[in-house]
Amino acid sequence: MNFLIALLLQATPMEQVFFGSGKAWVVLAVGATILLGLVGWIWRAQNRLKRLESRMKSLDSDQIQP
Amino acid sequence: MKDRVALLASGALLLYVIAMTCLVPLGPGLIALEPVADAPLQRFEVVGLGTHFAGQTTQSRVFVGQPGAVWEWRVLEARSNSRLLVESVWPEKLRSKSLDLFVYHPTDGTLLLENALHVEHVPVDAMTTFPALSQPIPPGDALGLHFPFQPQIFESIRNLLWHVPMWFTMFLLAGIGFVASIRQLGSNRLLAADGQAEAASRVALFFGVLGLITGSIWARFTWGTWWVDDPQLNGALVTVLVYGGYGVLRSSLEEAMLRARLAAVYNLFAFVILVILLLILPRFSESLHPGKGGNPGFNAYDLDSTLRLVFYPAVVGWGMLGWVLYRLGYRMDGATRWMEAQDAPQDLGIASTPFSVNK
Repeated sequence: MNFLIALLLQATPMEQVFFGSGKAWVVLAVGATILLGLVGWIWRAQNRLKRLESRMKSLDSDQIQP
Repeated sequence: MKDRVALLASGALLLYVIAMTCLVPLGPGLIALEPVADAPLQRFEVVGLGTHFAGQTTQSRVFVGQPGAVWEWRVLEARSNSRLLVESVWPEKLRSKSLDLFVYHPTDGTLLLENALHVEHVPVDAMTTFPALSQPIPPGDALGLHFPFQPQIFESIRNLLWHVPMWFTMFLLAGIGFVASIRQLGSNRLLAADGQAEAASRVALFFGVLGLITGSIWARFTWGTWWVDDPQLNGALVTVLVYGGYGVLRSSLEEAMLRARLAAVYNLFAFVILVILLLILPRFSESLHPGKGGNPGFNAYDLDSTLRLVFYPAVVGWGMLGWVLYRLGYRMDGATRWMEAQDAPQDLGIASTPFSVNK
């Protein structure tokens, strides 16, 4: 228990370690970058898929016509 | 269009969740009541986390006892924001050997540490009464937005916004796969439902793995170990392995109709196993996991309004992201199959992803 308390508090409360040192902003920046990268990648994949699907549709309709 | 709206909405919600997870501070709480080495029964140090003892020290008040039967100790000095030196006062008799600690501070409000102290040197009489407090305790100042302080969990309570919604998303996608499998089994033809079941189960597996990883990290910081032999944890692992087996089964069968039927039957059992292992069995056995084996879930007492402010958007955001990934995988599979049928080159112009399988 004492070890846990010492680990948590050290010199200052954990609140200050996480927020006062600016580490929270670093974590936020990294998390937001990963998320925005994922959203951008999916957006791009959706666009390409849409183009491909419309091409597939037009090719299918060409094949059906005599 | 719907897919794009869902993607943008999930992106916005998850951005909000990440920001709140990182920026909302933890509320104040008490960690321990420690006897001072040179005067073990006379002087104690109140140890807090996120507390503000150093300011307005003269207005701090410390009480021990049980709710409705407390007496006051004298505050000597604040050694820091998280350490308060107090002098004990002992009555002739106690109601119980186990004493709770109550600390009032104008900024933090009234904080409670249950069973803070075990006392042997004062006799116990359960009928002992204590006089009412001479001065009423005023409410604390408004602290602003903060996550609730919970013993053992501390700052890791933020993981609630990631771990739990990931499992909810896993259930959502497994449910979609379950319904699609039923639809496939109801037909003698190869339906789109087979592809939907496959895509949904794949993304469900992905979120299941994420749920296991976030849960294991949480266990490390609250239970002290990455994994414990617990029905909930073992059930979660077995469930993820079962859904992994679904992919192995599909890839081992060449003939499309046979693959669709066998995979659909397997998927029905996989979903039933998911429900039994994660929702039913852990409630009937001893479990460390919140909400299982008699342990209260977070919503029972500490999913407060600040957490709800982030938790519900997190559930919706992760769920929508799961839906978007499922739709993306399903459409990519469809395009791949179409190209195979046309005997066309495999290059779709899209980088391969964990959510698409080339067959």
